[in-house]
Amino acid sequence: MTTEIPSLGGPATAEELRSRPVRFAVVGTGGMGGTHARNLAGCPEVEVTWLVDIDTDRANKLAADIGGRVTADMEEAFAADDVDIALIALPTGLHRMGVEAAAKHRKHIFCEKPIARTNEDAQAMVRICEEAGVSLMVGHVVRFISEYMRIKEVLEAGTLGQIGMVRGSRVNPPVMERSPWFADVEKSGGVVLDLMIHEIDTFRWFFGEVERVYAHGLSFTEWHTKRDHSVASIRFRNGVIAHCEASWAHSAFRTTIEIGGEYGLLRQGSFDSSSLRLEQTTGVEYDPGIGQSSKAFSYMRPTIEPPHLREILQFVESLRAGTPPPVDGAEAARTLAVANGVLDSMRENRPVFFNEDGTVVEP
Amino acid sequence: MEDQKTVRVAILSFAHLHAYGYAAILTGLPNVEVVVIADDDAERGQAAAAQFGTTWVSDYRDVVARDDIDCVVICSENIHHKALTIAAAEAGKHVLCEKPLATTVEDAQAMIDACKQHGVKLQTAFPVRFNAAIVALRDAVRNGAIGESLSISARNPGKCPGGWFVDPTLSGGGAVIDHTVHVVDALRWIFDAEVAEVYAEIDTRTHDIPVDDTGLLMMKLSNGIPVSLDTSWSRPENWPTWGKVSIDIIGETGVLFADTSANSYEIAESRGPSFSWLPIEASGDPEMVTSFIDAVRNDTELQVTGEDGLRALQVALCAYESASKRAPVPVVTG
Repeated sequence: MTTEIPSLGGPATAEELRSRPVRFAVVGTGGMGGTHARNLAGCPEVEVTWLVDIDTDRANKLAADIGGRVTADMEEAFAADDVDIALIALPTGLHRMGVEAAAKHRKHIFCEKPIARTNEDAQAMVRICEEAGVSLMVGHVVRFISEYMRIKEVLEAGTLGQIGMVRGSRVNPPVMERSPWFADVEKSGGVVLDLMIHEIDTFRWFFGEVERVYAHGLSFTEWHTKRDHSVASIRFRNGVIAHCEASWAHSAFRTTIEIGGEYGLLRQGSFDSSSLRLEQTTGVEYDPGIGQSSKAFSYMRPTIEPPHLREILQFVESLRAGTPPPVDGAEAARTLAVANGVLDSMRENRPVFFNEDGTVVEP
Repeated sequence: MEDQKTVRVAILSFAHLHAYGYAAILTGLPNVEVVVIADDDAERGQAAAAQFGTTWVSDYRDVVARDDIDCVVICSENIHHKALTIAAAEAGKHVLCEKPLATTVEDAQAMIDACKQHGVKLQTAFPVRFNAAIVALRDAVRNGAIGESLSISARNPGKCPGGWFVDPTLSGGGAVIDHTVHVVDALRWIFDAEVAEVYAEIDTRTHDIPVDDTGLLMMKLSNGIPVSLDTSWSRPENWPTWGKVSIDIIGETGVLFADTSANSYEIAESRGPSFSWLPIEASGDPEMVTSFIDAVRNDTELQVTGEDGLRALQVALCAYESASKRAPVPVVTG
């Protein structure tokens, strides 16, 4: 399954990237791709030169707003000489295809999370990017959200002492009607790979590697096409016990985090910390960008730099400095392995153990 | 009310702080008399007797034999529940016993058997199923507010109580034995189901104590519903409230969130030491105590039994077993 890497010119160098705006081909112009493209279009340091989507109507609509050439063929965009970074925002199962195509054309790559559906795909993607000499960053955006960055600082300062119980919850209304591919657990990984992977990645960032997981949920029940809810118990190698909850059964988006330690307790929640709220009796739906929006009720957390832009700008900075990306493919592959362990545990009703190198202990 | 028979109560030990709450409730009830307090800690016993306007004796054996009491409320260290309950049963006195009912299945069973043999009632002190929020939660579930119940996230976090609670020879365990039983009992009551299986992660992480302070139980009910339960003593000493019992039930058409501590007000006293969240009204304990007294007075069925206490205890013990085996453990209800 190894992809041949043709001997084209090398990827854009740090020096080149420092000398001019960095040029993006955005592949997939749906939810995340559209968000990224619009964020980037508003930013002077970067340029969106290509929009790739098999739904060219959707891509053309976006191009009318922000510019860029449209194609249904990602190879055409990757072969162009006005692309430095391929931004892959395809459904998860297509990430490998997109990344391999971009690596073959020696483009640096920003890939949406999760890196892939399977651990094998993730490892293959890491390998081909290494071989092609391109930088691969995966969009684990929570590491770039201000509140989690602040919590990381608090933990590193030792304010809470040794940590005992950690709870992370990320709940959302069902998405399967809007994006039917999510209802296919084999393809999408369900709520675990879409939402819980954020808590898994963030907690790995906070607490290091995972020793074992055990999980419950609806992903492998008859309910999974309408509702999904999963809870995982995650034991870290440093002893921390984490409770991760992810849901597609609530009526509004909400996150909460709680960290209990030797010297105190830290809590943060997206709803409680919203600094702008809107309640409407009648009127038009107003989309606040980040936060929860519905006709009746919205809450927002306006922030100086949106995290989805921050993660990409930090990637650009790393390329310009010639340093590794803030969250590389290998890191994302480890997070994915834990998330897949959660799914295996749920399906087989057994704890799943991990080796020190992050690989799964075969049962 | 006046022609109601007076129920005469003895409180056996004030080792558990709940004794003070129960004593306050009992002394406030019409036609209930707290006749005597037995406590082998003389200072504590005398102070409690003075506080609640009653008498104190040192040895519970001198109390259970008296013919001027009808029932006992046991708030000793967990390990002594068995001896006190059996002594009361043998003397023909009904028993309201603090949770956990005992520290082993054998002890709990012996208590149940003794009470049965001597024809006395045995109630486990589970106030959570009497709490207004939990009663309303059960009604909402049963009235179809969220369609079919699919998954449950529950919590009973609190402060480390210290004292004998952290001495395993007196408590039988830490946060898991202390905080598993309330939620398990409430869920058994809401769903008419047993806990079929439990997996747990348990450790001592945040206090320098010889028992566990951090616990996460992953359970499956006999009706198939998965439940997570956090039992941790994760609230620091200066947290504005003791802790809470919360149960989120994720259903087919919605989610119910119950929190027994939510009905509170915030107060910061400039002359006091701290910022507090205080309850608007007490709920759970008064109804639980009253229910016991009514059953004793009218010789009616208890709403919570010794068997209920045993079932909940079993889950906590299986959690410890699971944590040491690192595997799910079936909860065998005999």
